[in-house]
Amino acid sequence: MKRYGLLLFFVGIPLIPLLAFWFIPMFVSLWLSTTDWDYISPEYNHVMLENYQTILTSDNFYAALKNTAFFSVMTVIPTIIFGLLFASLLKNVMKGSTLLKSLLFSPWITPMVAMSIVWTWIFQPDIGLLNQLLGLLHLPQPSWLTDSNTAMWAIIIVSIWKNAGWAMIFYADALSKIPGELYEVGEIEGTSWWQNNRFITIPLVSPTTLFLIIISLIDAIQAYDQIQVMTQGGPAGSTRTLLYLYYQMAFEQFNMGQATALSTIIVILTGLLAFILFYTSKKWVHY
Amino acid sequence: MKTTEEIFSVPLTLFPETLQWSNFTGALELAPFWLYMFNSAFTSVCIVVLQVVLSSMIAYALTQLKFRGKSLLFNSILITYMLPAAATYVPSYILLSKMGLLDSLTGIVISNVASVFTIFLLRQAFLQVPKEMIEAARSEGANDFTVLMRVMIPMCKSTIFIASLIGFVSMYNNYLWPSLIVKSQEKYLITVGLNRFFTNVGSFADTWPLIMAANVLTVLPLLLLFVLLNKWFIKGISDNGLKG
Repeated sequence: MKRYGLLLFFVGIPLIPLLAFWFIPMFVSLWLSTTDWDYISPEYNHVMLENYQTILTSDNFYAALKNTAFFSVMTVIPTIIFGLLFASLLKNVMKGSTLLKSLLFSPWITPMVAMSIVWTWIFQPDIGLLNQLLGLLHLPQPSWLTDSNTAMWAIIIVSIWKNAGWAMIFYADALSKIPGELYEVGEIEGTSWWQNNRFITIPLVSPTTLFLIIISLIDAIQAYDQIQVMTQGGPAGSTRTLLYLYYQMAFEQFNMGQATALSTIIVILTGLLAFILFYTSKKWVHY
Repeated sequence: MKTTEEIFSVPLTLFPETLQWSNFTGALELAPFWLYMFNSAFTSVCIVVLQVVLSSMIAYALTQLKFRGKSLLFNSILITYMLPAAATYVPSYILLSKMGLLDSLTGIVISNVASVFTIFLLRQAFLQVPKEMIEAARSEGANDFTVLMRVMIPMCKSTIFIASLIGFVSMYNNYLWPSLIVKSQEKYLITVGLNRFFTNVGSFADTWPLIMAANVLTVLPLLLLFVLLNKWFIKGISDNGLKG
């Protein structure tokens, strides 16, 4: 009897919020996605898979899917590359300068909202820093956030800037764990800088790379703050990602059925991607 | 690469005729940023404290107690960690509205106390506590509460500290979820308040110094925290990320 009381205390209490705000909502969400509930009226009908059908045949969905895929690829890959580059620069050139490390890392602790606002100013067509610099160099000055061709790039730049320092921290740690002898052997054999990276560094940090790809991918799929502040999904839907579409469906149009159906699709996509990454990782990750 | 210092220097170099301090008072006159900051800091502290308490309890159960469904529980938590939080927003929103906690700081706190990340971190740390220490404590007649309080928590101080730090920063920076919950001005969190301020005063050339001043105010507490504890931050992030 005492044992049950103990379990109830140690597992039961923490389980309440976990159930209420994680486990149960997942299932409720799945169930809601088969209804046409509009949040306000008490009645709803079971429409089964109609919501999924509507979404999967709508142009908005495919546009958002394309935007999400483009955004994810264009932020995850540079974030990883810059992260590794900064980390190896820190290790080899700056000898692990804490000041530099902190400077590169500080964007991660600043709120995305605050950062996005500063960047909105940088991207201003007439008075913004970026276009003034481009003007000095006599380069074309795009109107960044109001042009549907450049708005996504602007958001991508901000996201990379925020995350690269964060990736660097992980790589710095991974690099510091590579035994120095490996490089010494390389030196004796006369390997080049490129060969060092290709055959020693990159394979040995591959577990970190896998971890970072998965985390940044989940992050990229869930990007919202910077889009909300900088473009609200516009212009002409050019920065509307799946999550942004979900937000608009759920909390602007109160179309709960379709919104939850969309969230289920997002969950499935994320799970699928993570699964594929884990599966293919056996080929390139060396533990 | 630019840093947060840029926020300080950029309006000064571009509008050198404007006195910096007047921008701060100007921003504060237009919106109660102190209140927003207090709201953010207050809810974040509450959330972090509750997160740590609840997570250490369940982490203790997951590592030290034997019960049926333990691995099922852990696997469920593991899967939730991978899923986008957005999938829970609609039902959680409905739940909060049923509880009458929409537009309240309590609502923000309650809906954030379950942290899968903290549970992971603490479980990982608890697993590394030497078995001998726990057995020694037990042979001296310590019950589960004493083991948790006297052995586990002191042994895992640094992990708990880092989990709190990360929790605090992410809660202070949280935007989407709080912006759905709070609607009345006096309950705005700093991120919500800042964005409303930004959209309200508009992005006209002459309001940029004010916006930047508000931005600096927002970032300042975190920056101070970071400067004071930056070694912990960096070490904590890299260590725990790889363990998880």
